[in-house]
Amino acid sequence: MSTALDIVSPSWLEAHRDAESVVVVDVREERDYEELGHLPGAVNVPADRFRDPSSVVDGKLPTADDFAALLSAAGIERDDTVVAYGDDGGALAARFLLTALVYGHEGRLSLLDGGLEAWRDGEDGSLSTDRPSSDPTPYEAKLRADAPIADRETVEAAVEGDAVVVDTRTAAEYEQSRVPGAVHLDWEDLLEEGRLRNEATLEELLAEHGLTPDERIVLYCNTARRLSHTFVALRHLGYEDVSFYEGSLTDWVRAEAPEWDPVELQAQVRHYADNGGFEAMVDDLGEDVLGRLKLIGLYHQKQRGYFMLRTRSPGGILTAEQARTIGEVADEFARAPEEYGGPDQNPVFGDGYLDVTTRQDVQMHWIEIADVAEIWDRYDAVGLSTMQACGNSVRNVVGCPADGLDPAETVDIQPVVERVSQRFLGDRHYANLPRKFKVSVTGCHEDCARSSIQDLGLTPARKDGRDGFVARVGGGLSDGPRVASDIDLFVEPDRVDDLVAAMADLFADHGSYLDTAVNRLRFLVAEFGPEAFREELESYADFAFEEPDETLTTDYRGDHVGVHEQADGRSYAGLNVPTGRMGGDEFAALAALSDELGGGELRLTPNQNVLVPHLTDDGLERLLEDPLLERYSPDPGPFTRGIVTCTGREFCNYGIIETKNRAIRWARELDDWAEAAGIADDHEAIRIHMSGCSASCAQPQLGDFGLRGEVYRDDYDSGRAADLGLGGDLGNDEFIDWLVGKIPIDDVPGVVKATMLAYDADSEPGESFTEWTRRTSNADLREIVTDGPARDPPAIETEVR
Amino acid sequence: MSGTHEPGVPQRGVKGVGSDPREQDRDVAEAPGKIWFRDLDEAVIEADRCIQCASCVAACPSDSIGIDEDEGRPTLVKMCTGCSRCWDFCPRSGLRYERHLELAREERALEEPATYAARADGEAAAAGQDGGVVTALLAELIEVGELDGAIVAREREDEPLRGEAFLATSREDLLAAGGSIYTQTMGLGRIEALLAEGDLGSDDPELALVGTPCMIQGATALDRYDHDPADPIALTVALMCTRSFEHGRLLSRLESFDVDPAAVETLDIGEGRLRAVDETGETLLEADVDAFDAAGLRGCDECADFVGDAADISVGNVGSDDGYTTAIVRTETGEAAWTRAATALETTAIDRPTALETLADWNRRRAESILPREFDPEASVGITYDAHREAYDGTDREPEPLNPARVHQYEEWC
Ligand SMILES: Cc1cc2nc3c(=O)[nH]c(=O)nc-3n(C[C@H](O)[C@H](O)[C@H](O)COP(=O)(O)OP(=O)(O)OC[C@H]3O[C@@H](n4cnc5c(N)ncnc54)[C@H](O)[C@@H]3O)c2cc1C
Ligand code: SF4
Ligand code: SF4
Ligand code: SF4
Repeated sequence: MSTALDIVSPSWLEAHRDAESVVVVDVREERDYEELGHLPGAVNVPADRFRDPSSVVDGKLPTADDFAALLSAAGIERDDTVVAYGDDGGALAARFLLTALVYGHEGRLSLLDGGLEAWRDGEDGSLSTDRPSSDPTPYEAKLRADAPIADRETVEAAVEGDAVVVDTRTAAEYEQSRVPGAVHLDWEDLLEEGRLRNEATLEELLAEHGLTPDERIVLYCNTARRLSHTFVALRHLGYEDVSFYEGSLTDWVRAEAPEWDPVELQAQVRHYADNGGFEAMVDDLGEDVLGRLKLIGLYHQKQRGYFMLRTRSPGGILTAEQARTIGEVADEFARAPEEYGGPDQNPVFGDGYLDVTTRQDVQMHWIEIADVAEIWDRYDAVGLSTMQACGNSVRNVVGCPADGLDPAETVDIQPVVERVSQRFLGDRHYANLPRKFKVSVTGCHEDCARSSIQDLGLTPARKDGRDGFVARVGGGLSDGPRVASDIDLFVEPDRVDDLVAAMADLFADHGSYLDTAVNRLRFLVAEFGPEAFREELESYADFAFEEPDETLTTDYRGDHVGVHEQADGRSYAGLNVPTGRMGGDEFAALAALSDELGGGELRLTPNQNVLVPHLTDDGLERLLEDPLLERYSPDPGPFTRGIVTCTGREFCNYGIIETKNRAIRWARELDDWAEAAGIADDHEAIRIHMSGCSASCAQPQLGDFGLRGEVYRDDYDSGRAADLGLGGDLGNDEFIDWLVGKIPIDDVPGVVKATMLAYDADSEPGESFTEWTRRTSNADLREIVTDGPARDPPAIETEVR
Repeated sequence: MSGTHEPGVPQRGVKGVGSDPREQDRDVAEAPGKIWFRDLDEAVIEADRCIQCASCVAACPSDSIGIDEDEGRPTLVKMCTGCSRCWDFCPRSGLRYERHLELAREERALEEPATYAARADGEAAAAGQDGGVVTALLAELIEVGELDGAIVAREREDEPLRGEAFLATSREDLLAAGGSIYTQTMGLGRIEALLAEGDLGSDDPELALVGTPCMIQGATALDRYDHDPADPIALTVALMCTRSFEHGRLLSRLESFDVDPAAVETLDIGEGRLRAVDETGETLLEADVDAFDAAGLRGCDECADFVGDAADISVGNVGSDDGYTTAIVRTETGEAAWTRAATALETTAIDRPTALETLADWNRRRAESILPREFDPEASVGITYDAHREAYDGTDREPEPLNPARVHQYEEWC
């Protein structure tokens, strides 16, 4: 490669910048270039034109044509000497030069040492805000055959000893994850006060890291920005054989690492059940195995050595036998040890209980490694699995719980749910997506599987007389809630699994594996825009996309509580399970009842409730008389019916407030109050959704009242609190807005009462709670909310401004 | 309108200064006053105002904040739940430290805090920076069983002049850790880990925490609200301080005077001079401490708490003769400790030295002139995000966009 790549000082630039063939390029944002000023005569090629660092789609090289267009517009010729600078230590300017190098620029490429700041400290130091006029040039860019780009194979070979792999990120990042065998050299270590260190120091530093000019060197970072600076510096120092791994760690991580194979992992963990349990497992496999165990349904609790076990039930359907097994396992194994309270661990539920979740899974706590082999054996015998109930994989597929029961059903979803589940279960390729991937399928016309908050939500639709689904994509609640976008895509039932696979592939290719904060699928959808996303998705699918003629969703159904008639004339009973928690023995008893009186089946709903289907009239009558239905009623009070919570502080590392017991207490108290206040009969359900922290496990954005745990503090006191929002309604794609922060937790029931009374007094006939909250101004709502509780003195955090 | 987080009108979209892709497409307005680690990061850490007191690390209820090994600064290591506690206890953002000091005085200080010129003898005097008072005091308290240990500082083996937090449980440990280290240790954020490694044989250990005044501010503030991380702290000792240094810059400053940092055995700062001494006691450098201004933590400019007003006991050299430590015993806890250890020390009650008052005054005036917000010991303890932005935006201490590469967030449960 002949092109010179080096670093020049401000004084060099001062002396040479007037030369005809020298072009100075400023890579800062356009606004900075224009308003703060730039080197006189410098042209502006902002970094976001040749890469996009905020993008969740990785910052890859621009296309040759795009790059040529940029340089042409900037008036640059192929044989010009280009001097680039920025204000970020030089990484982006170096990136620009590297891009030019790769695309065959012939003139000298130089980085201004110290960037803008060094220039300003220099003798001339002048800035200008004038944009130089330049005529477009006929710039042509073409990827050079010998471009110093390393692909994964090169890096793999390097790892085997073929070359030195260098991680140019910070030590903290290097500690967290790295390409095996990589040496660490923070790109900023080459700098001192923003300037390149002197050559002697650099040579010593590089030699210490085993980097000598005769070595082959491969550089990487996260997004191919920082490595660019090191690249230019090395070339400046006369290192010839330097290449860079454009895919960087992102690409590397995505390689299917064997330790992420769920089947393999389950076998390993089984082994420790009889061989030393938890401690032996952690000793042998390292602490970081705890993170990977999620893949097989085990979440380490905040109490060391104990796990939450999540069992998946695709579409929420369990046979009586499966349900009985789950109940028995919970009763037997989900027991707290003495030091954590033993049989009295929980004042409301005692011990040996389980939780039904909003994804139709079942969770139980206090599971030990020593027990898992036994549990998995029992599960295997009845066809249950904990595999991939968690982790970054295709999660339990949510399905409409009244599938096959509802008289108005359009498509039978059970086979679809089954096929999707089977296809991805234990599949190593799909077990390690950038993030979790949530799918739901609805067969009725009431969207009861909540398509708007899924990564992929399917609801019934029709095309040319064929039944199928219409797809919505990119919805979700946690960090930056978003309502899914309709992409006007019709899919036939037996194509659904192909669609899921296409979407998972797209996700794996474009999603960021490193910045886990921004890599849910919805950021991709937001970034592409729904239409471009649809196009991109089609390129991954092995079938042609069609648009639906008509979509069949007419309504939105909150829950299935109560007794309902089935299409075949029998009935199903929707039992309310407040906060989703039930004794394991009770769950097993309910399974026995369904065997005896119904069709030998239980269904779990996304509201954490349970359905007993296929009841004859006689069966129904006997079921309703069972004492179990006193607690798990088909006709609960409105608050009991509407309450949803996550795990909360009891078991969750993050939980700030305790949720389940509190919710049960509140629901009882509020139902009694509603009865006394005479408003109980006006409401089927009043939905309080309470999350222990700001993660969205209890889906607070969907509640009539959304709550999430917080703390408050004033000059003298601090305590647990909750943020409150009002009026979520999935039926209208409405999420709550967070209205008031930090209400002391014990004041919340008072706030709920005051709000319900205000609604009662103020609403118009037929106006729903959500409609009322939307009509009433936030200022008024805040007044209602904050004036409610009588407190002396009021906590400072909740005063109205 | 006073207090920490009063409700305001919820805003759609972006609150912080960086462009957080998570917020590109929000369909839900954020709660007024909601504060995440990211806000702290931008307002304090990225803005280069962090004084490495580790209050935030200790305050976070989900242990989401770790310590960046390289930079010694806080960094997010797991999901942030947005509970705002790190902000609330950070003396450079949500904690109005001057108010906290005022409250500490009202609530805990003796009517008449006592001032002493003191020194230890023998080994402790030799190991200590000045009179070896801290070393001797703590050693005595550990030996009589009043304390199980003390969180102090020692020099890291791999890096000259860089301190690390250390749990001393014996006289030998304390002798080894005697003397001042002019970089921060984040000791307050390491208590739990040090206890776990240390194995004190007690479920409910009683420790002394030694540190710069800012670290003691955080520790005592956590204690005022009964937060667990402060539970093991039974005694606080503040090292009087006008500034601490950023390690890398301290080294390059020394190098610019042709001093090899590795050869420096002790640094000493007093009466406006900085002295570097080698193993043999030979002076390698004596210079005006102002020459080291650029190596100081920028956040220290905003600090008016030279004497460490929240501590049970404060120690320094100002106002005492060479070889003596000036100690202020401020609380009943401090008094009890001082009395208990009296036999180990030679102490003379003195008036508050004028030199100390002068330095403290100067320090406060400097802070008040640099602090972009108002310095107001009567205002409420909490400072809201909005109030912070109002005061700091447009100054050279305004929040800086966060570097997304530093945020590693993941959800574990759902
Ligand atoms: C950053 C800094 C700046 C200072 N500036 C001044 C000043 O301007 N004027 C003044 O009068 N005094 C100042 N001091 C205090 C002074 O240097 C002595 O620490 C004090 O006089 C006590 O001396 P001693 O001999 O009694 O303590 P010693 O017996 O030496 O004991 C000191 C104890 O403090 C611990 N320690 C030392 N450094 C740190 C640290 N960085 N963080 C946590 N623990 C530590 C040691 O491990 C030891 O246990 C400063 C101290 C520090 C750390
Ligand atoms: S969870 Fe931790 S990091 Fe997040 S706001 Fe609370 S204290 Fe700060
Ligand atoms: S100043 Fe202290 S509390 Fe604030 S960010 Fe830095 S270490 Fe944390
Ligand atoms: S000057 Fe203040 S802020 Fe800086 S280290 Fe000392 S006590 Fe902390």
